[in-house]
Amino acid sequence: MTDGRRIAAGIARLVGLLVLAVALQAILTSRFTLLGVTADLFVILTVLVGLTRGSLIGGVLGFVAGLLADMVFLDPIGLHALIYLVTGYAIGRYAEWLPPLSAWAVVAAAAAATLGSQFAYAVFQLLTGGGASFFGMLWVQVLPSALVNGLVAAPLYLGLVRLRLIRRLDAVHAVR
Amino acid sequence: MSGQKGAGRRRLVFTVLVMASLLLVTLFLRESAGGFLHSMQTDGLGAMSPLQSLATRAVEPFQDGWRYVTGLWSAYEENEKLTAEVEELRGRVIELEEGAEQNRDLKELLDFRESGIFPEGSTFVVARVIGRSPTQWEEWLQIDRGTADGLAVNQPVVGAMGPVGNSPAGKGLVGKVVAVTAHSAQVQLILDSQSSVAAKVQGGTAEGILQGSLSRTLIMDYVERDQLVEEGVVVVTSGMGGIYPRGIPVGVVTGIGEEDVNIYKQIEVQPQLNLYGLTEVMVITNPPAETGLGEGFLPTGIQSGSGSGRD
Repeated sequence: MTDGRRIAAGIARLVGLLVLAVALQAILTSRFTLLGVTADLFVILTVLVGLTRGSLIGGVLGFVAGLLADMVFLDPIGLHALIYLVTGYAIGRYAEWLPPLSAWAVVAAAAAATLGSQFAYAVFQLLTGGGASFFGMLWVQVLPSALVNGLVAAPLYLGLVRLRLIRRLDAVHAVR
Repeated sequence: MSGQKGAGRRRLVFTVLVMASLLLVTLFLRESAGGFLHSMQTDGLGAMSPLQSLATRAVEPFQDGWRYVTGLWSAYEENEKLTAEVEELRGRVIELEEGAEQNRDLKELLDFRESGIFPEGSTFVVARVIGRSPTQWEEWLQIDRGTADGLAVNQPVVGAMGPVGNSPAGKGLVGKVVAVTAHSAQVQLILDSQSSVAAKVQGGTAEGILQGSLSRTLIMDYVERDQLVEEGVVVVTSGMGGIYPRGIPVGVVTGIGEEDVNIYKQIEVQPQLNLYGLTEVMVITNPPAETGLGEGFLPTGIQSGSGSGRD
């Protein structure tokens, strides 16, 4: 397979993942709650791609996933795009520089990324005069979301690797 | 050398995308509700709504199964809580039957029931709930009716989950339409932290503003301290602000707070309905015209709004 075809196949896989995430988020995930919250597949996908493909692709995918999330979540367009862009980039940088790439890294990274993105969302709420605060939402939204996203990320990672839709964790070293 | 080049490209892409995001957010927040980005979002939502409607029907059995499984976890705790509530309610019923004051309350409730809650000539559109807010930062429902069915922004939404019949129990206000496409609409729940509803205590003169809170109860604020409010009384819409008709049940007073430093009482109100269990709602498509009465009522420093403000 030539380089061009390989790149095209990689892009097609990522686009397919995003379409799948939109469909699952809009149709299924929002209907099934655990601990009072639903899983955010966009942030999980951003974390998985950031971990396995590095900061550049992680950031770009986070940006696109964020735009789709803004459509699905009815939030100001660009808000989640910015949050997930930074998330994907930061997770990608982490994966490029540090090698603790066991399956637990997926759980920890998804939970940490969720905490970060929820905090960023809280800052936006604060700036725009929203009624809910980060600490007020800590027990009802922020921590349960981090836990649920972390738990969902692990099986999702294993499933997507098995379907060859994303790379294995150690593949990111090739990107370094 | 190529590593430096790659790092430079990565930073450039990151910076460009950060700028693009900030630009998009700024444009979105500054443009009107009919602007390009809002329209794009609405069109996207509209395109997905048929798929969501279909999916709602398809996943219902699985959803019910999931609810059953998750419900088992809390069944024991729920049972204890409900038993305690039943005991408390039994005691309250006995008090109501014995006391003259309680009899008056019951009579008022009966009069209220027989007088009819909604203005004469009100028309309703029944809608199915096809989506819910993914987080508790915001509390909204998505329904499968839109402009094609006569829905418009700011129309009140009511629901019923209580016993069949004329009893007002389990019937009440859900929220209002805040965004609408041809075949779907977004309903801001009264529990949303951005929601506020002008309300009054049924049978009394105490009036205030009901606002959502994180504890999934409503807080009725700006109630004058000299107003008499008792726990257990029903809170209804006051009709001020011109969005919600007067007299729609909203909830029951469950707590009253007074602080020496606060010139107002803060009243905790439990919603009439379990807003998270609704599967169908009714939209009032001919709500009363704007009266502007709400403006005069609002305390200093509080502004009314159309999208997410006070109604």
